Amino acid sequence: MGLKYLVLLMGLISMVGLITVACSSEEATESTAAVASGDSRLDLVKNRGKLICASRNDVPGYGSLDASGNNVGFDIDLCRAIAAAVLGDPKAIEIRYISASERGPTIQSGEVDVLVRTVTWTTSRDAQWGNYAQTMFYDGQGFMVKKSLGIASAVELKDATVCVTQGTTTELNLQDFSTQNNLNITPLTFEESDAVIAAYTSGQCDAFTNDRSQLAAIGSGFDNRSDHVILPDTISEEPLGPVVPHGDEQWFDIVKTVMGILIYGEAYGVEQSSVPSAVTGDTKVDRLLGITGSYGQESLGLSQTAAQDVLKAVGNYGEVYDRNLGPGGINLPRENGRNALWADAACTNCPKGGQIYAAPLR
Amino acid sequence: MDIILRNLTYQGIPIWRNVYVIRWVSQIVSGLLVVLLVSWFFVNIGNAIDDREIPYGFSFLSREYQTPIGQHFLAYESSDTFLYAFFVALTNTLIVSIAGVILATILGIFVGVCRMSNNWIASKLALAYIEFFRNVPLLVHLFFWFYVVLELPPVRQGYVIAQKVYINNGGLSFPWPSPNGMGTAGVWLLAVALAIIAGFVTHRRLAIREATTGATSYPLVLGIAVTLGIIAFAWLLLSVGLIGSEGERPFGLSYPEPHGAFGRISGGLTLSGGLIALLVGLVTYTAAFIAEIVRGGVQSVGRGQTEASRSVGLSAMNTLRHITFPQALRVIIPSIISQYLNLTKNSSLAGAIGYSDLTNVAKTMTQTAPAVSIFIMIMVAYLAMSLVYSVIGNLYNRHIRFTGG
Repeated sequence: MGLKYLVLLMGLISMVGLITVACSSEEATESTAAVASGDSRLDLVKNRGKLICASRNDVPGYGSLDASGNNVGFDIDLCRAIAAAVLGDPKAIEIRYISASERGPTIQSGEVDVLVRTVTWTTSRDAQWGNYAQTMFYDGQGFMVKKSLGIASAVELKDATVCVTQGTTTELNLQDFSTQNNLNITPLTFEESDAVIAAYTSGQCDAFTNDRSQLAAIGSGFDNRSDHVILPDTISEEPLGPVVPHGDEQWFDIVKTVMGILIYGEAYGVEQSSVPSAVTGDTKVDRLLGITGSYGQESLGLSQTAAQDVLKAVGNYGEVYDRNLGPGGINLPRENGRNALWADAACTNCPKGGQIYAAPLR
Repeated sequence: MDIILRNLTYQGIPIWRNVYVIRWVSQIVSGLLVVLLVSWFFVNIGNAIDDREIPYGFSFLSREYQTPIGQHFLAYESSDTFLYAFFVALTNTLIVSIAGVILATILGIFVGVCRMSNNWIASKLALAYIEFFRNVPLLVHLFFWFYVVLELPPVRQGYVIAQKVYINNGGLSFPWPSPNGMGTAGVWLLAVALAIIAGFVTHRRLAIREATTGATSYPLVLGIAVTLGIIAFAWLLLSVGLIGSEGERPFGLSYPEPHGAFGRISGGLTLSGGLIALLVGLVTYTAAFIAEIVRGGVQSVGRGQTEASRSVGLSAMNTLRHITFPQALRVIIPSIISQYLNLTKNSSLAGAIGYSDLTNVAKTMTQTAPAVSIFIMIMVAYLAMSLVYSVIGNLYNRHIRFTGG
């Protein structure tokens, strides 16, 4: 009698156990799949009602806080442009502040929709982190030193100690440069850029290395900017742009298209203050603004007039640049540089000498 | 099994109140739950890795790391492998951990004893120290000491003591022995090891003799004398070349010197600014906890012990040394071990202040190697260190536990 009960009980327990195992593994698959493949990233963003960007608030020009505490900068504007295109509202964003070394895990896990935090495009990052949408700024690594050291070139940094931020391509390039030129550079690696700057200004390091534009941006915050000099050497290629998580091609295409809208907005001369909403007669402009024709809005899942929202929200590429990196911000020269447009869109035979270029919108 | 059957066929107690059934069922259920939970975690991780195409694997370990490591106590070049670089970083953490544990113990016991002192000022100062250091987050401490170090003059304007010790915000550099030839240095170190064993044996023999015959035998003095004697003798022999045919001193002193256009110090031993800030921060923070553990342990020894000891004429110091402390150790050791583990794990904050500890270097590795694999390696490394500390602590605990003898 008792033994029967026992057997019955054991049987029951193992059945319950098996069912629980089966359910739990099925559940696990579903819950992760929801982010990865079930819902598209676009649906996820639309249902959530806001776009989550990983960015920064510690470097003027790219992402910093203005006097009234608003997050402003080039990277932030790119994020706002995507929100405007997808949700029609540039303010519908949530910015997550992350350190340089957190960028890979953050975008790999898919917890953010887009990573715009001065990320250099490299092949291993493209393979491991996520998909690079579009180069929006061409940068290169440089060095900043105190003027009092009296050195004129980075190859004079023999046996120097150099401050560098952890998890950046600059950290990796530094070794190549040191080995190539037999410089025996000692790096001092910090997690946060604030600590890097403190170590450099106090003289714990002889030099500070970063992307040149960031050196300029950080230097613009120094009290005694004239005591520091950025050496002329550029030791690497640093193409910067937004990154999206792997595994959603539609979302990848959307972000590329929004970057294209900014770039062609400038090429076609559409400015933030006067975005036309009626037929202009210029077919290219009309197609961009969604008044006539199409550049693929329907297949991308964007509204017909997404470009109008984008350009009204942040302006075209040139305006975004000027406001943050140009005269309105940290004052990096653009004219005739790599970050100028490739040409006038209206006149393909009039090269402007730049490399800012996107897939034609049609 | 027999017992179970006999109990089960007994009709008196209903099955849900049968103690054997309850025991078995509860064990099986809780075991199943644990297995379920763990397998759910692993299934989830596996799915996430698959779905997001997160790279994974350990083939990178034999690849060249090609990235600099700021400070390293072992020789390191950027052409070394990931595995070796990881080991170099692990040594950096071990050095902080071991030095930190020793210094924190000394400071902690000192503060703890002060806390119990009858001297009002000493006791209140210790109290203030403990409360201040215990109640401020460690990261804040570390940044504080980091900025204190930064306040030191930069390397070229730094302090120099007798052309041999250099103090600046790059670190503290001082003379350090360096082996002249691997052969002689090795032979001498072997002699040192033998000398220490010989010293211990001498000490033990004499201590037994003293205990059994009562004849004054100076075990400690003679033990140390034997050790030092052998060490010095080996040094002399090697120097004049009777054993090693070269006849060279096993170790010379390497002196720090400014080097290169930027006056960076090379030679001797340099403790970098980041390491000093990290050590000071970890030691002062952990010592506050150790002080309280020491106080708790000492106060847990019955008052009668102290009174009895004083009444047989032992001084206050001897009472602490021979009566109170040995008994207190049994209470102190287990909790102090967890402080050692804390100190070791807390050293992973080093990246904030620029010391190349294990976590700092390994996080840099995630740039060129799969992050999942790297983080698994970090976890295993810290786990291994913690387990070693625990094992040593438990062995010592067993050694000193009350055996009635």
